[in-house]
Amino acid sequence: MSEPKTVSQPKFKQVTVMFIMTLFQLLCAMCVFVRQEELSINLVCIFFGYITAEWIYMLFGTIITHNDYFELEVIAFFLSGIGLTVCASFSETYALKQLIAIGLGLAVYLIMLLLIKDVRFACMLRYPAAVCSIGVLALNLVLARNINGTLNWIDLGFFSIQPSELVKIMFILVGAVSLEKLLSITSLTKYVIFSLGCVGALFLMKDFGTALIFFFTFILIAFMRSGNIRTIVLICAVALMGAVMIIYFKPYVANRFAAYRHVWDFMDTSGYQQTRVLIYSASGGLLGLGIGEGYLRDIYAASTDLVFGLICEEMGLIVALAVLFSFAGIAFFAVRSAKSSASTFYAIAAVSAAGMLLFQLSLNVFGITDLLPLTGVTLPFVSRGGSSMLCSWGLLAFIRAAGAPFEAPKADIPIKKAPKNAVKKPAQKGGAA
Amino acid sequence: MRITSKRAAIVYALIVAFIAGVGFFVASLYVNGAEWASNKANRHIYSGGTIVNAGTIYDRNGVELAKSSDGERVFAENSTVRKSVLHVVGDTAGRISTGTHYLYRDVLSGYSKIEGIYNLKQTGVGTDIKLNIDSEANKVAYKALGDYDGAVAVYNYKTGELLCSVSKPAYDINKRPEDLLTNPEYDGILLDKVISGVYTPGSIMKIVTAACAIENIPDIYSRTFECDGEYETNDGTVICNGVHGEVDFQKAMNESCNCAFAEISIELGADKLRATAESMGFNSQLYAKEIRLTKSRFSPSTESKAELGWAGIGQSTTLVNPAHFLAIMGAIANNGTGYAPDRIHSLGAVSNIMGRNPENIVKIKPETAAKLDALLRSNVADKYGDWKFEGLMMCGKTGTAQIDGEKSHSWFVGYSQREDLPLAVVCVAEHGGYGSGVATTVSNKVMQYFAENLT
Repeated sequence: MSEPKTVSQPKFKQVTVMFIMTLFQLLCAMCVFVRQEELSINLVCIFFGYITAEWIYMLFGTIITHNDYFELEVIAFFLSGIGLTVCASFSETYALKQLIAIGLGLAVYLIMLLLIKDVRFACMLRYPAAVCSIGVLALNLVLARNINGTLNWIDLGFFSIQPSELVKIMFILVGAVSLEKLLSITSLTKYVIFSLGCVGALFLMKDFGTALIFFFTFILIAFMRSGNIRTIVLICAVALMGAVMIIYFKPYVANRFAAYRHVWDFMDTSGYQQTRVLIYSASGGLLGLGIGEGYLRDIYAASTDLVFGLICEEMGLIVALAVLFSFAGIAFFAVRSAKSSASTFYAIAAVSAAGMLLFQLSLNVFGITDLLPLTGVTLPFVSRGGSSMLCSWGLLAFIRAAGAPFEAPKADIPIKKAPKNAVKKPAQKGGAA
Repeated sequence: MRITSKRAAIVYALIVAFIAGVGFFVASLYVNGAEWASNKANRHIYSGGTIVNAGTIYDRNGVELAKSSDGERVFAENSTVRKSVLHVVGDTAGRISTGTHYLYRDVLSGYSKIEGIYNLKQTGVGTDIKLNIDSEANKVAYKALGDYDGAVAVYNYKTGELLCSVSKPAYDINKRPEDLLTNPEYDGILLDKVISGVYTPGSIMKIVTAACAIENIPDIYSRTFECDGEYETNDGTVICNGVHGEVDFQKAMNESCNCAFAEISIELGADKLRATAESMGFNSQLYAKEIRLTKSRFSPSTESKAELGWAGIGQSTTLVNPAHFLAIMGAIANNGTGYAPDRIHSLGAVSNIMGRNPENIVKIKPETAAKLDALLRSNVADKYGDWKFEGLMMCGKTGTAQIDGEKSHSWFVGYSQREDLPLAVVCVAEHGGYGSGVATTVSNKVMQYFAENLT
């Protein structure tokens, strides 16, 4: 049971960090409670339940796995906790739904870890996953209601589901498996067709932001597989041309871009959300005005797309930056994991999942602050909403699986007809950190 | 495996790009935070587009001109004071764009880079601003203007403090007319004429022409000019305000003789006149500290001698801004150094301790300034009469700006030579007739107020 690569990771002082995080979350809870006219028992239960769940997960995890490498989970709990606080400051219903979403997310996370634990099993999943993805998106196109100009929602009564969020997980699974496993042109072609299918469906749904995220992830996976910068440049060029044509032909997309870098000229029209985010972010200063004390919460989509601005205003820039750097931490962890992972599959999956999270985060945060055009995507883990939460946790599983110190590192698993050199040097993989 | 490991480093590039983006966001927040936070759409400060929560604006004697109380903006008690300081204080909706409310909204909001507007949120008031303006003096000037519209400003030419600044017409901010923005009767009422107004100067422009003559015609003081009521050129005639006979340079100034100054202007030529005017700040963008002044314009004709003559006596296309001309008077009074009139005494506690540095915006050669000083003193002593400015030792120049088909604007610009009263004044009364009338009286009343209250 030697663990040659995990030693290179800094040892995680789990209990200390957990205490600090619990303290932070209790503070957040207090801030929410003091604004209530009378103390809501339900809210107390929600926060108490959440903090208890964190501790149970950590303690059981430590006991079962005999180690305490839980950096990723702590970061995810930290982010989810902030999201939960924001929801709780809106209403009990939001908080309860968000708590359920976090629970489901954690379940998805554990199931994913289980599913991809064995590379061969993960490989078998790729066809069902691909068919399922295209099927869900197709179903979506048929069933979806038009919400905010995009068709990307299915209403199931209590919950509305955004299927594209769930497809994100499968997209990475399919991509990582296909490209890990096969060098053949046919499998590459199949994957390209699959990707085009997904992106095309999202365009039909007019969900430009998510289509962009898929496209970016596609490039990342392609790069991980080919390592060929020229190929990537070519893909980008084609995409750029495509984008120009879209803007040319689709005035509604062009309209969204019209305000870009000129939001103050469109303060009450297409720059409304961005200017409000800037105004109230600046108002918050470093420490914020207090949870529930802001005015950004009255703006449409404050708890979903604009949640970063809300955090800036009410919790202050320091917490907001902590959120951002948490994601940088996840991405950093992903690289370390990828370098020490037991299989190329894990490396590709971890890197593309981290890239996808980081890219979506950038589209969100920089979109609402007018550094990038506004595309209307959510902030992973933090934005209110079930689909987004499930997706975030699901993606996290790929990163965790790559660096999972659950068992001793294995040799790179040779998969049928893979003519790799991977078998030759299994022992050296992680040393380079 | 190793290849994928290396390629995984692409994520580092993403992280770097991401952190660069975060850095850019934080930097723009640092640079623009005050402007963003004090935007009209910020409901912590504004309600329905008008300021409700902000710091108090005091006049130099501590009179509260505007303050926030229980989520409302409360103004000075006296209605005439409210009208007289309207343009200085500004409205709460930012329509008076040169008002303190709008120009210093970031200060009033109490924004700090560390706390944002937390202080405002907690207390309902932001950072206080103390003005150099004396609201009582404003009231005196406002009343003195009577039925006339126009502008009056007084400042300390040694420190740049703007003590009085009135623009008429004004309205009472507590009884804002409903049709303020639609009724043509109120056109231009939102304009602070001291800051943003430009007028035909009339004879006060002879000060600039005289400065040019002093610097360019060595024997100007030994010259004489013949005035028979008209000065004829080959392409037109300049009409004088009287028949002055033979006059020397000083007499020409005292009598404000158009014939003499038209002759001087034509002799100097458009280029020299223009150069002198521009050295005094004409045709360039001037700032009274943070406040942008409307440009004074002087572009004498190079083609027509008659037009050049008219330009030299302040007619033709010449336009001056009252605050700018106040600084010119300050320069003459202060050995050639004309400070920008500064409305603000302090912006918050730190600024109160540090003070504000006067800024020199008009420069005149000290020897020229001294000669102009003597001419202007002689104007009051020998022509207008010291009895009109009792005990003030005034220097000055009246002006009558002729406007086609309307009654002339009445001007007075001047300053006191008294060591204990280093004040310059500018007054323009629209359609006030000849200069010795309305503008002189108004100027005297305001200056007398300061003579009593400042010393």
